[in-house]
Amino acid sequence: MTTTDPLAGLPPVPSEARFLARADLQTLIDVLHEDDRRVIGPRVADGTIVLDEIASVADLPAGWGATQEPGRFTLERRTDEKLFEYNVGPMSWKGYTFPATAPLTSVRRTAEGVAYEPATRVIPKLAFLGVRACEIAALFVQDRVLLGGPFVDDDYRERRRSALVIAVQCTTAASTCFCASMGTGPEVRSGHDLVLTELTDGFVIDAGSDAGRAILARLPVSEATTEQIGDVIGAVSAARLSMHDGVVTVGLQDRLMANLDSPRWAQVAERCLTCTNCTSVCPTCFCTSVIQRSKIVGTASGSVRTWDSCFNPGFARVAGGSFRSRPRDRYRQWLTHKFSTWVDQFGTFGCVGCGRCIAWCPVGIDVREELAAIAPPIVPRVPPPSPAPIAATPTEFATARVTSTRTETADSTTLVLTETDPALIRTKPGQFVMLTLPAFPRLPISVSRVRPDGIELTIRAAGPATRALTQIKPGEVVGIRGPLGVGWPIERAMGRDVVIVTGGIGLAPLRPLIDAVLADRSRFGTFRIFYGARTRKDMLYKDELAVWASSPDVDLQLIVDRGDPDWLGRVGVVTQLFDQATWEGSKASAFVCGPERMMQNTVRTLFDRGLHGDRLFVTLERHMECGIGLCGHCQMGRFFVCKDGPVFSLAQLGDTFGREGI
Amino acid sequence: MENRDRAPVVESLTEIVAALSSTWFGASLPPETQARLAAMGRVRREPAGTELMQEGEIAEEFGVVLSGRIALRMLVPERGMVTILTVEPGDVVGWSAIVPPHRSTSTCVAIEPIEALMIDGAELRAALRSDHALAATLYPRVLQAVGRRLSATRLQLLDLFAREEFGRDSLRAW
Repeated sequence: MTTTDPLAGLPPVPSEARFLARADLQTLIDVLHEDDRRVIGPRVADGTIVLDEIASVADLPAGWGATQEPGRFTLERRTDEKLFEYNVGPMSWKGYTFPATAPLTSVRRTAEGVAYEPATRVIPKLAFLGVRACEIAALFVQDRVLLGGPFVDDDYRERRRSALVIAVQCTTAASTCFCASMGTGPEVRSGHDLVLTELTDGFVIDAGSDAGRAILARLPVSEATTEQIGDVIGAVSAARLSMHDGVVTVGLQDRLMANLDSPRWAQVAERCLTCTNCTSVCPTCFCTSVIQRSKIVGTASGSVRTWDSCFNPGFARVAGGSFRSRPRDRYRQWLTHKFSTWVDQFGTFGCVGCGRCIAWCPVGIDVREELAAIAPPIVPRVPPPSPAPIAATPTEFATARVTSTRTETADSTTLVLTETDPALIRTKPGQFVMLTLPAFPRLPISVSRVRPDGIELTIRAAGPATRALTQIKPGEVVGIRGPLGVGWPIERAMGRDVVIVTGGIGLAPLRPLIDAVLADRSRFGTFRIFYGARTRKDMLYKDELAVWASSPDVDLQLIVDRGDPDWLGRVGVVTQLFDQATWEGSKASAFVCGPERMMQNTVRTLFDRGLHGDRLFVTLERHMECGIGLCGHCQMGRFFVCKDGPVFSLAQLGDTFGREGI
Repeated sequence: MENRDRAPVVESLTEIVAALSSTWFGASLPPETQARLAAMGRVRREPAGTELMQEGEIAEEFGVVLSGRIALRMLVPERGMVTILTVEPGDVVGWSAIVPPHRSTSTCVAIEPIEALMIDGAELRAALRSDHALAATLYPRVLQAVGRRLSATRLQLLDLFAREEFGRDSLRAW
């Protein structure tokens, strides 16, 4: 993701942070009421979260969360009673600062002729409660449009001036959120009078203006503890990290205008209903029309400004017809304005990454996808940072002691290695080590668990060296180098469904990934594991399989090639566990490990389920000697499996995957 | 699969059509074919352990599994009954009933309580002979189901987990 803000990624450290207990939030509302402010905030209504007048804390959506996807907004009951653990609903604060209709002038017929008078305005004194970082950014965008140009909109200025902004930092991110990539959130940095961050038992609260400080002084707050401030930073950072599908903004302005003839405009227009939902829910869209209303007797008339939309057929109409008669023209107008010509006009993007246009599009058009298809970014692949290995070169070996062993199957054994270098404890899921015994060749072995005191390796006796390793006795010492290679990109699966497909001993390199997902379960969607083996006796980690099978956190399905009479589970191949299923793969990331021939079938079946090659990862096994991409054994086309892999996405491998003789 | 936990099917014709259309096999069949199959079929419920067909015998019924699990077994001397495949909700059982010589290719045993929409083989064959639209829509789906099993069987035959773990071959030093 790219941002223009050099501070992005570093949450702002609250300056004079205070703690407001959950029970005292009502005092904040009372104080606002004492100041004659009406409080506008989130409330559950019409199956979603709307903005409305809030009389007391009881009106806020306690215990409600929401799942947002393209074309979908689903309210969900949470297990806690948090008030702000969701992102944005269909309404934005624009409805209060720039109302959908506003009277401009009134005209009266008088004895002398005609009198034009500016409309009288009643500006309510408001407090906005629960303004998210992206929404503050949207207010800034509209400030630039309506206050920063040659024409200053007085109505907007008065409404904006009279509203107090009480921000809430997001501690969760919907799949539709992409503020991080637009550089607008989730951290609230400016533009607020007060900012709250919700913790389990209350709020860390800080002021951002003199008005905010004056209110803060009237609240029953205590000094926030270092731990509470740490929790705030952690929670907001977690929301940032869980956003993946963003917009690459580098060069976007020019990339879009260079692609005015992309065939994608016509394709997206086949889905687009030109219903104007996107522009209505957008917090920055400001295009309007002026309509005339008159009394039927003709004594008075008035002009009223109303929201209009570039998707309306009449928006670009002249006497001879419309300049943008086709839906593709209107979609292009909207997208190029938001992400290109807005910059020419106002110096910022017209998009803040709130994701409303994605969730509230009735056909689920996702601007992020359209931008990536119409104006694809040129992004160099930045390898993720890996822990520095011990014994990095082929000439060195460190040692580790085998403290215990566990027989997994007739020919597989797990070694528990402790007394190792701390570097090995930082092994990332999917990484491997080079292991050696005196007089045997060095072997690449995947780490099958990372423990606080060491690592586990599960080895299958397939030849003399592996057999020697499975016969090691506790207390013996082995030579070790690592961790090496690129592991499973678990961060790419956050916020998405996770699918693991594996067979035989292929479960070993995936076990650290399973551990990591289960340890951080709430960051992922549905978690499915499909595991196949020759017979049930050949299954690894049988105790853990039993635990996972009964866990509500994971949907584990097993299958064997050959069923003995006592086996009441499924018999067949692993793809039969999901090739007739109905779940949608496009919301998932998949991780696959097993014999290469099995992985080929699995990958094809996952493609049929709608999984994209960019989110489908396999781990490859090749002959390795050095582990640092020098010795040449593991070369596979452009890649060295030991240093560029062993984990690859299918998009990386392209048609070299499964090709004979590479 | 997903529909294993579905509530028990009730036998009104519309409910049978609804049950059939929610299965993998029935979902892509045109409504006329779904209705025809439902009208010819009856919902059969059997406890675990029931032998539905025996290898080599005439397959009397063609069916679509609605819930439960069926094991396809073959007898191997000195090894006993070996389960070759399990059939899950949505898949077909007894396809031999509509493919000559109409003999079952394996022994089918319910290993969980099952519900299946079962259609008499002779009646279905007669319908397929006289109704070309029915035949033209049903046979491709049956072939797809059989082809899926054939391809799975080939992979099982490769015995991928046995020796060539991760595609290594026997030439390696270790």
